[in-house]
Amino acid sequence: MVIASEAPAPVPARAARRRRPSGVERARARAGWILLLPALVHSAIFIAIPALMVVWFSFTDARVFSGGEFIGFENFTELFGDRTFRGALVHTLLYTIAVVPVAMAIAVLVAVALNQQIRARGFFRTLFYIPVVTATVAVSAVWLWIYNPSAGLGNQVLSFFGLSRSGWLTDPDVALPALMVIGIWQSLGTKMILYLAALQGISPELVEAAKLDGASRWQVFWNVTWPGLAPAHFFVLVTSIASSFQVFDLVYVTTGGGPANATNVLAFDIFTNAFQRLQTGYASAETVVMLVIIAALIYLGRLTQRNQEV
Amino acid sequence: MTTSTPSTVAVTTAQDPGAPSRRRPPGDPLAGRAPRVRRLPSPGRALLYLALSVGGFLMVAPFLWMVLTSFKTLNEVNTFSWLPQGVEWQNYVDALDAAPFLTYFRNSLIVVVGQTVPVLVIATAAGYALAQTPIRGRGTILNYFIMLLVVPFQVLIVPLFLVVRHVPLAGGNDVLGMGGTGWVNTWWALIIPFVSAPLHVFLARQFFVSLPSDLADAARMDGVSEIGIFTRIMAPLAAPAFVTIALFNVESAWNGFIWPLVVTSSQEIRPLQFGLAAFAQTDPVQWPFLMAMSAVATLPMILLFVLGQRYFIAGLANSGIKG
Repeated sequence: MVIASEAPAPVPARAARRRRPSGVERARARAGWILLLPALVHSAIFIAIPALMVVWFSFTDARVFSGGEFIGFENFTELFGDRTFRGALVHTLLYTIAVVPVAMAIAVLVAVALNQQIRARGFFRTLFYIPVVTATVAVSAVWLWIYNPSAGLGNQVLSFFGLSRSGWLTDPDVALPALMVIGIWQSLGTKMILYLAALQGISPELVEAAKLDGASRWQVFWNVTWPGLAPAHFFVLVTSIASSFQVFDLVYVTTGGGPANATNVLAFDIFTNAFQRLQTGYASAETVVMLVIIAALIYLGRLTQRNQEV
Repeated sequence: MTTSTPSTVAVTTAQDPGAPSRRRPPGDPLAGRAPRVRRLPSPGRALLYLALSVGGFLMVAPFLWMVLTSFKTLNEVNTFSWLPQGVEWQNYVDALDAAPFLTYFRNSLIVVVGQTVPVLVIATAAGYALAQTPIRGRGTILNYFIMLLVVPFQVLIVPLFLVVRHVPLAGGNDVLGMGGTGWVNTWWALIIPFVSAPLHVFLARQFFVSLPSDLADAARMDGVSEIGIFTRIMAPLAAPAFVTIALFNVESAWNGFIWPLVVTSSQEIRPLQFGLAAFAQTDPVQWPFLMAMSAVATLPMILLFVLGQRYFIAGLANSGIKG
């Protein structure tokens, strides 16, 4: 500011400053590269290259102990005739379709409730977030015990409501829905926090103005709060879909894909093919399918988002 | 208490005397935006507290039952009961004999420390470089990290296993990474792939971007080296970012399961989550022992979250909405 007021000075001063700091600038850039390099190299070796490798392997008949040969789309054609894979795909989709919207709806409600000036807000927020920070394996062990058909809490709750006992994870019709319940329970917290952050970004003035204009609380909610949550919806939707497509620990510990493959989900099927049948190429093709579906769902999510804005 | 509802209504509708007094009922979801008025719970509020309490109870009920079960005797769990007959602390000791949980524990600690310490150096340095140094193409590099951020880990498991298996000159491998088992079933495999993560680079970058460069300029005048500016001036200012990243990483390292499952085969290096999963699959399951060890596996993370809540939530909100 001071420099700008002295009219003739800037040109020589800028030239001088540019020449002198060029050494400093170069030193700074060099330091920058030194600091950046480890993370850059690490991410290339352990993330970027593997991500490209999986695409390449999907077109080969590689096995864990032998490099494969290029076989074109053979893995993919085989996949779609594979009943176990199709089942896994359907189970994963069902799981996602049930868990994501239900958990999102509950998360919005909880977030709106917790965004008010209520007492013990932090306490309640902690309660809803605890399932997120605890290991899925440990949590799965606990739910395995809850779903124990003979002495578990689950059947106790059913009989409290006068319902007949269930076999839970041993019943092919009940096992997947039973896992969905765990999925909703565990994923609620992250979504709630994201919604809370979005709610805190909505301008209080806007809400006040709407109220002064005589808007009812529902009108305020639908016309101010809800649109204010739109960017959060998209982000929550995308991350939720991606994580529910990756569900693995839960299935591994509770059912191992059973009974009768009723809970065999995509990530579990990939694991089985890659590390038990050792079919690297085939498992890679499955992984690519998973990736394409996640990308497509994200794209669809973005489309609906755009329509809302118009 | 009896007069609370009318007085509340009177306050909130004071500027608007003609309006029906129930226009903004106390249960209003947006009431939090109203000026703080000291009031006692009205029916709407009470309902809200009730709903939150029921919801909150459902969230922690499995953990309560876990702890309660961990105190029961092995015979007690054959039939359902809420409360244990006595407090069987011995379960926590006996469980350690039933499976090598102490080893699993030690292994988890090694993995947590082994990953988190380098993460705090490598990822934060990269975040700083992307935020505060004039390297060419840093926008592109940032986008590259953001792209990697969305690559699901499940996608990487198969190729990452092959990468680890073919590390040159390790585990009997030749220079081309062939012939041996590489890092498979070693500590390296559990630690090295996670000594940095795009999420942490991004979180650090978001934090360093918001720091003013004046201090760095002043330090430069005083002859502090460029690396010294990061380690001695900027990094201490970014302490909250370090805490956030450390918490996130400790949590994911402690809770990780699929990678150790894939890449280890010996008891000696397998972590706690693996031990729990294996114990849950024995037949018959000794539920009080399993619940005791589950409690030990979950409580440290719950405690960590309660203590560092502020950082967790800031990190989550930062990587999410602003990203």
